[in-house]
Amino acid sequence: MAAITESIRNEVKEIVYSFFAEECEVEIAQINENTSIINDLDGDSLMFLELIEIFKKKYNLDIELKVIGKYAVKHPVTTIGQLVDMQLLIIEHENRLMEIDQ
Amino acid sequence: MSENHLAFIFPAFTSDYTDHPARKMPGFEVRFNDLLLRAARFIDPELAGFNFNGNTFPDDELRTQYLTYIYSCAASFLLRKNSLIPSMNAGYSMGIYAALVDSEAISFETGLALIRTAYHSLRKSLNNASFSMGSLIGLSREDILQLIEQSSLRVEITNQNASHSFVISGYRDDIQLFMKLATAEGALHTRDLAVSIPYHSGYLKEGAMHFADQISPLKIGTPKTPTISLINQMMMTSPEKTREEIVRNLFHPINWFQSMNMMLDQKVKQFIECGPSKGLAKNARFVDGNFLFSTLNAIPFPAVLP
Repeated sequence: MAAITESIRNEVKEIVYSFFAEECEVEIAQINENTSIINDLDGDSLMFLELIEIFKKKYNLDIELKVIGKYAVKHPVTTIGQLVDMQLLIIEHENRLMEIDQ
Repeated sequence: MSENHLAFIFPAFTSDYTDHPARKMPGFEVRFNDLLLRAARFIDPELAGFNFNGNTFPDDELRTQYLTYIYSCAASFLLRKNSLIPSMNAGYSMGIYAALVDSEAISFETGLALIRTAYHSLRKSLNNASFSMGSLIGLSREDILQLIEQSSLRVEITNQNASHSFVISGYRDDIQLFMKLATAEGALHTRDLAVSIPYHSGYLKEGAMHFADQISPLKIGTPKTPTISLINQMMMTSPEKTREEIVRNLFHPINWFQSMNMMLDQKVKQFIECGPSKGLAKNARFVDGNFLFSTLNAIPFPAVLP
């Protein structure tokens, strides 16, 4: 469980933007927080999973995928901005992600 | 294993040829059309009407299988022409037939006959009951088995693509119910694979036995290029074992994740997906190891014509 600093926030944003720019072969400048992952970038769930794995390794996170899945059902992610926010919540709360709603 | 550390991977089947990866491969269209016409003459005249930008028979499961097979055979032939010689082959699911053609265990025409016979034998054995397959990401094998057991679903795990990526087969109603339960349980993604035959499941055992009888006259040899079984991760080292694999592949669960790891243990460093999709290359991101997994559009070719 990590406190989200400005530095972490910027780092997560940079990783997410760079990841989608490379995976989806678009200029990073074309991506903003309102970019639709599916409609604008043709992204898919495997990319989402790969990003989770990147952050799990980078921040040594203790989180089960199904916890993220349950959270995502209640809080669907469609844009890059929402995805960055979710990754920050995952880093902050790890396996206690669902407790945010309680 | 020879020193080139290269494996050809033959995918199952797809009907999506949008921006297909071999479109810039020198000589591909010539070779593909040659094989297409051979297939049309041998097994199904309608195949001659296939067009990458038009009629791809998207709703026809059998023709979709023929076409992916033809595509894969054309691609691997050209890769070899370009001196890319695999030290190992693997056929993912119904990709087994193209893998065995490339390994020279069966002829191109025998592969077509196997596809047709398997399809009709299996369809007949299912007695018009409604079956399907699905894929899901994010749950463990234990989570999936628990869901199946709790609701007494007629569903089986029939493939594992990565640590948290699975394929299931079974009765269509139960597959659909399972997908809803899996999403509620925390699956990150579920997908109906839109097929009518529950490949690699025990529901196909009777049909597979009929298939075995039907194909007994067909000539099947030993793969000249080592070809891995996705069932037990062993090599097919004799005609008998190859024939047995062809039959068991229909009704026995496979494990792609373990097969990838086995090939990596065998020092494979580069994989080439010899087919129209890029799905296995995407999936390879979730397999640990120092290797390159390429699709056909990523291979630099000198201009070599068949």
